Amino acid sequence: MGTVLAKEPQAPREFGTTSHNRTDQKREDYRKDYEHSAYYDQERDALPRKPTLDEPKPVNLQRVRARVDKVHIDGLVRTKDDIVKAQVTEMFKAKDFQDVIVRAHKVRGKLDALGCFGNIGVYIDTSKGSDATPEGVEVTFTVSEMKRIMGGINTMVGNNEGSIIIGARAPNIFGRGERLQMEYSYGNKSSTNVSVSAVKPFVDSWLHKVLTASVFSTTNDLPWSGYKQCDTGFLLDLALNRGGTGTLKHNLQYEGTYRNISASKQVTFRVREQSGPSLKSALRYIGCIDKRDSLIFPTTGSLIQFTTEVAGLGGNIGFIKNEFVMQSNWSPHEFATFQLGFQSGLLQGISNDMQISICDNFFLGGPLNLRGFDMRGCGPRCEGNSIGGDVYWALALHLYTPLPFRPGRNSFGDLFRLHGFINGGNLTNCSFKFDRDLTENLKIFTNNVRCTTGAGIAMKLGNVARVELNLIMPLLFVRSDVLQQFQLGIGLQYL
Amino acid sequence: MPDVLLSDTIAMELGAQEPWPQPIKLYQPYEVEQILLPDNANCLAVQAYLKMCGLEFQIEPRSNAEYMSPSGRVPFIQCGAFLVSEFDPIVSFISSKGSSLSGELGATDKADMRAYISLVNNVLVNAEQYVCWVDQATLISVTKPRHGSVYPWPLNHLLNWQKQNQITKKLNVLGWYNKSLDEVFGEVKNCCTALAERLEGKTYFFGDEPTELDALVYGHIHALTTTPFLPSVCGMSATIGRFQQLIEHCRLVNTLYFKKESDISVGQVYLHDTMSQDSFCNSTGSLESLFPLTEDSFAMLKANEKNDSLEETCHLDLKEFVIG
Repeated sequence: MGTVLAKEPQAPREFGTTSHNRTDQKREDYRKDYEHSAYYDQERDALPRKPTLDEPKPVNLQRVRARVDKVHIDGLVRTKDDIVKAQVTEMFKAKDFQDVIVRAHKVRGKLDALGCFGNIGVYIDTSKGSDATPEGVEVTFTVSEMKRIMGGINTMVGNNEGSIIIGARAPNIFGRGERLQMEYSYGNKSSTNVSVSAVKPFVDSWLHKVLTASVFSTTNDLPWSGYKQCDTGFLLDLALNRGGTGTLKHNLQYEGTYRNISASKQVTFRVREQSGPSLKSALRYIGCIDKRDSLIFPTTGSLIQFTTEVAGLGGNIGFIKNEFVMQSNWSPHEFATFQLGFQSGLLQGISNDMQISICDNFFLGGPLNLRGFDMRGCGPRCEGNSIGGDVYWALALHLYTPLPFRPGRNSFGDLFRLHGFINGGNLTNCSFKFDRDLTENLKIFTNNVRCTTGAGIAMKLGNVARVELNLIMPLLFVRSDVLQQFQLGIGLQYL
Repeated sequence: MPDVLLSDTIAMELGAQEPWPQPIKLYQPYEVEQILLPDNANCLAVQAYLKMCGLEFQIEPRSNAEYMSPSGRVPFIQCGAFLVSEFDPIVSFISSKGSSLSGELGATDKADMRAYISLVNNVLVNAEQYVCWVDQATLISVTKPRHGSVYPWPLNHLLNWQKQNQITKKLNVLGWYNKSLDEVFGEVKNCCTALAERLEGKTYFFGDEPTELDALVYGHIHALTTTPFLPSVCGMSATIGRFQQLIEHCRLVNTLYFKKESDISVGQVYLHDTMSQDSFCNSTGSLESLFPLTEDSFAMLKANEKNDSLEETCHLDLKEFVIG
């Protein structure tokens, strides 16, 4: 932060009368650019100001001592006081004016994370009245609560498929952030997804806990493997996060799913013999550290994510599955960002009584996965159908640059990046055993390694999804792999 | 995809020219703990047919055989790259390969055979489904535990419920769901009368050589006579037991093709309290348990004897099937 321009503190203003019409303007500014932490500038612009003759002098805000006397929350209707109080208490710990601003920003994020409020505005004013201290400030959060029931229709892209989503939700049902949401999506590849979930946040302590219970039903067609999968299940998720906005996140999940696999007509017998219903009952832990500065085109920071899943607590599916995802970013120059992505996974059976279905296996390949291969185009195959494997790794090194000559700079043009990449990986079915020789196990890094290189253009969509158009040249591959030279990929996750 | 049918036809034609891929694999549910009466009858019929054709085959029991099958019904055979399910398609597939049992029959006999096959498929199969899925006592103490035996809780209840709905819907459409047990036994009796009449004095239905009809009838009669029924539906085996020709025919096929001692016992009645899952499985092979007919079944027999005009209706039925 350092030094920013500040207004003279000796000009107190009547809050709530003159500035009301300016509130909206401030919110607009704020929303447009709220990723930037230079936040005081807008605050200053938004507040009414007397024309001053002399130039404003730079003031070091850290030297301006401040004490928060009061925190007002405007606009609470059905939200209970206790959860809001728990979010704003840290305002009172502020020592100087910069601290006040930083904490106000943080508290705003926390209030936003409650999912109860549509817009949240922040006012900081000097404290007045009989019990005001000399350095006192009053902070006012203006919130507007969401309606009882909200709904919408939107489109989404994910996993190389576009879909339309019809959703409805009832936020903040009992006043403590509880919500119920329903979602129905229909994809262009005849996949459907229905889910109903109830969310209950516990936000009153330093550790934020969010409990989610959901019932879902999804149908997916997987022509690369020659089967259609219908899942109906129940998911209980407990998300733990320090302070609500921390970088370290834990998720503990229980999933009970009834899966039905129906084989398509011309499919290999290896896939056909796995058709039929199965019941997976699994516990899952996801640990995630995300320090990246953006989800889609990060320039610095890294992401580490572990997933461990143990299936076999009831049901007839039993396995232990471990997955590791890593991404690291480095920008040596304004126009160049290196990104290294790594993924790996290991699937082990736990007993002979418990099966592992084809839908539990790992698959590799796809325009946002191992580029240069068709969806599920890499790894073990049987008569043209991908049957997946139980151990895999994939590595990708990207070099991103902005568009040459920067057309549409700071606006439309920032949605695009050029990238060159080299990626490699391997997927096998080696019924991993730990008592065997280590060199035997490490053969996955030496034998049949696939590698491709290429370049293309990437675009971000709404800061959640990305689109890539790539031209790829294969370097190392195996005869049975399905290669593609041009690939268009749309998705949420990428390697 | 407009060319699926065409490519299927081509594949079928090409397949017809290929030599026999040996051995044929026959997929069916687990016989001891899982299979139900209608499926068991169909599996036995296909096995008998393959044996009559002199084809080597290998039985592959799979708990998900029903879901693996291309048509959703058991049994199905894997013959090289081909998967063929259910009795009729298997018969036509095998005859396309050149070994047919009904090749020498005249046109009238062939038409008759088709009619009798439809009769069996329309009466005996539905009656078996009825006994398994509509009769409450059988449904609760036999069908549900067996059908759900290969799935974990709570999936077994869900799948039982789904299957029950599916069968009930089908029987409702066919007009069988609202029948009483006596009416069902009456239908079975009609069917058996027609079959026994055709068989009268001959070894097989069409002369001295077996045909697919013999295989099909064997499958059903064998399944119906060897399955121990609950007291509420023991009238089924009693009804069949009165057709001595059919029992003899079944015994003959059994000894000739299955090289087994005949274990057909008529009119087995198991008392409800002594019956358990195990006794069910073990008792199918026992000869000792020849119980006398119960009072209920005697009453039934008397009731059935009153209907002397059954044969005529049966002939009418047959004509309808020929036309159909």
